Order: sequence, then C-alpha cells, then structure tokens
Amino acid sequence: MILAALGLCVVGMEARGADQVTIRGAYYREPSTRVIQPVVDIQKDLPHGFDIDAHYLVDAITSASAAAGTTKDSIFTEIRNEVGLGVGKNWDRTRATLGYRYSAESDYWSHGLGGSLAGRFWGDTATVALSMGLSLDTMSSRDRPAPECAVAPHGYCTLNSYFAGLSYTQVLSPTWVAQVDGEVAYLDGFQGNLYRLVPGRGYEKPPSERLRDAVAGRIATYFPSSATGLQLHYRFYWDLYPGQQPSDPWLIRAHTIEARVYQKLSRSLEVRLLYRQHFQNHAAFWCDITVNPSCYQAGVLPLPYTSADPKLGPIHTEYPEVKLLWDADRLRTVPFLRWFSAATFEISYGYYVQSDSFGSAHVLQAGATMPY
Amino acid sequence: MASPSWRAWLVAALALVAAAGCAHEPPVQPWQREHLAKRAMRFDADPTEDHFRQHWFGAREGADLGFGQPGGGCGCN
Repeated sequence: MILAALGLCVVGMEARGADQVTIRGAYYREPSTRVIQPVVDIQKDLPHGFDIDAHYLVDAITSASAAAGTTKDSIFTEIRNEVGLGVGKNWDRTRATLGYRYSAESDYWSHGLGGSLAGRFWGDTATVALSMGLSLDTMSSRDRPAPECAVAPHGYCTLNSYFAGLSYTQVLSPTWVAQVDGEVAYLDGFQGNLYRLVPGRGYEKPPSERLRDAVAGRIATYFPSSATGLQLHYRFYWDLYPGQQPSDPWLIRAHTIEARVYQKLSRSLEVRLLYRQHFQNHAAFWCDITVNPSCYQAGVLPLPYTSADPKLGPIHTEYPEVKLLWDADRLRTVPFLRWFSAATFEISYGYYVQSDSFGSAHVLQAGATMPY
Repeated sequence: MASPSWRAWLVAALALVAAAGCAHEPPVQPWQREHLAKRAMRFDADPTEDHFRQHWFGAREGADLGFGQPGGGCGCN
C-alpha cells in the first residue's frame, strides 16, 4: 500500500504478467473544491525477470479555500504534475522492486523513493512482503512573510517522511484469502498548510514530528455458484509525538471499515459495490475554533500548537460507490475496434459524505487497461 | 522508535508465519487456483485506483500515513 501510494505501481506483491497501458481519469467535486486527475501508466516486461513501470499524472485542483480554514474566499486553480518510474525483478519465488516518484506544483515539490521485497512460500499460498520508502518535500508560500519553519537561506519549509510496512497474505482455501499488514511512518517537518489561517491566531502551527501507525486486516471470499466475490477490510490507525507523552499533541485514533461485493453480470461484465466508513477523534491540540472561538487562547489548551485543518478534527465519513467493469471480448469481431478487444474498461460513481466543513462530494472515475 | 503495540503486531505476524510453516500440505494445490486469480480475490487488483484513493483520503481524513499526498500549497489539504 505504501508504494502504491507513492505511485510506484511496479512494486506490487505479485509479479507482472503482461505489457499493458492504463489510462484513467478521476473527477472529484465538493462544494468548495474540484479536482480533475488524468493519469497514464505503462508497464513493460523485460528479459531476465525484470519489468518496468512508468506513470504520469496531473492534478488540476480548483478551490475556494474558505472551507479549508483560510479567511480569504478566493477561487484559484493549482496544477500538480507527478511522474514515477519503477523497476522490478523476479527470482523464482522472490520479487524485489525499487521506484522513484517526483511531484511538483508551483509551491510544493516532493521526491519519493521506495523499495520492496516479497517472498512466496508454502506452495505459493503465502506471501510476506516488506516495503520501505521515504519522501523529501519542500514547500514555499507566495503571499506571506517567511514562515517560522523556513530554512535559511532559501526560505523554504521542509517535510521529511520515512515509511515501512510489512504484510502477510495467506490463501486459506480455493475460495478464501486473508491478509494482515502493519505500517509505520515518521514525519519530521512542517505538516500543515502554509496558507491556512487560524482566526485570531495567525497562521497555523502544527507539531513538527509525528509517528503514524496503522494495522489492517482484509479477507476475501468467492462463491462460484453465483459468481460473487466479497471483501471485508478493517484498519486501525493511531499517531503520537515521539517523546511528548503524556502531553502528546496528536493522539488521533481512527477506525476504517470497507466492504466490497463483486458480482458477475455476464461473461464479460462485472459490477462492484463498495461501502466505506471512517471514524476518527480529533488531534489533542486541535479545537473547533468556529464553534469555540476562545479555545486557542492562552491557558485553555496547554499546547503551543494551532490548526484550523478540518481533517484533524472529529470526522465521520461514508462512501458508497458502484463500479462497472467490462472485459471487451465482444469487440474481437468488430472491424477496427478489435484492437481494443483485450482491454478492460471501467467506470464508477461514488458519493463521499463528510461530517466536517468540507461537505459531501461526488466522485466519478473512468479508465481502461489494455495489453500491447 | 517502535511502540509496544507495533512490536506485538510483529511478533504475532511472525508467529503466524512460523505456524504456517509447520504444516505439511499447503491449503491449495496448483490446480485449485481457478478462483484465486479473479479480481474479487485480489487486494492489489487496481494500483492506479489505490493511488488516487490514497491522495484523496490523505487530503480529507487525518489517518493516512502521509505518503499519499505529495502536495499542499493549494489550500485544499
């Protein structure tokens, strides 16, 4: 999961079996923010057990920033470009990967490097995978004086993040698979938004160190008689400030559950129904300043930190989604379109319900994966 | 840097691996893998979708580990 998040698709736990290209687009629309994200990903098998993966994506983000806690209700568009390149190598039952990702926007630059090592054993029914990565981020602000986090002489703030994850996947029977995994990340640097203001308190000042942990369990089963698949996921998250106990400013605890039902509607058409819920408490240093304007006054919270970031508050989100996947075999007999007969097309729509000030969002995604 | 709960999880995972190795027969033979290759049985079937979800949930929830959202100047995260 760590390396998929870094955009390094090549580092999946399973060996790649085909040369393929994936084109995908996502549209996210909530009351104050719209995101359009096209992405293209190309995978290629090479001789001697090697394979490579490259991707490029663009995030076009249009936002009216008031909902994010700033005091100016100005609409702006920000473009983020991201490229990634990864290489994998298979030896018998072992797979190793290494990948790099670079993300750039007008005021935020990020370098990500990740690697993984996975081994299959016990008749190829068990997989243990270790993944590690780091992210080195640099950020600046366009319309404010040099922030406290700025490092001389350039005036940029930095955020260094280090990740590790370990997963164990076990085939339990011909129709049951289970997985457990754990992840840990250590973040050191500015972890907020350089433009976000806390009313009456100036720019936000989040804690500079954070140790983030998560454990997750997943199980999947398949019912051949009805061609139905079912997945259940559960994840528990917690974080802390190393060495700051008992007055820890973080202490977020979160539970996330997700259920997926896959149903074959015909030989080539499949529907996936998804439902996700996320619950979290607020960070210890966070308070809802819109409800309680004096909560950050001296003495009310015994911590030197402030933030108006809604995602650090108590949150409950729900996300139902429906997705259709079509294996385009039928195009095999259609002139010209037969070139796409090995492709899989997908389209999905979901509604993201948020309990905080961001409001609810429509999420539309479409994509195609085609061997070449 | 590891917390006690992290170490407990690691020990539990290693115990599970060791227990698996003590059995003689794997639970599934190669000719019984027909359904395991299906999309519904894979947890990493769509990494590009996972990539988008990580970025999205990292920007809207406080429980991402922080690696899914390289960006922040836009005021939307």
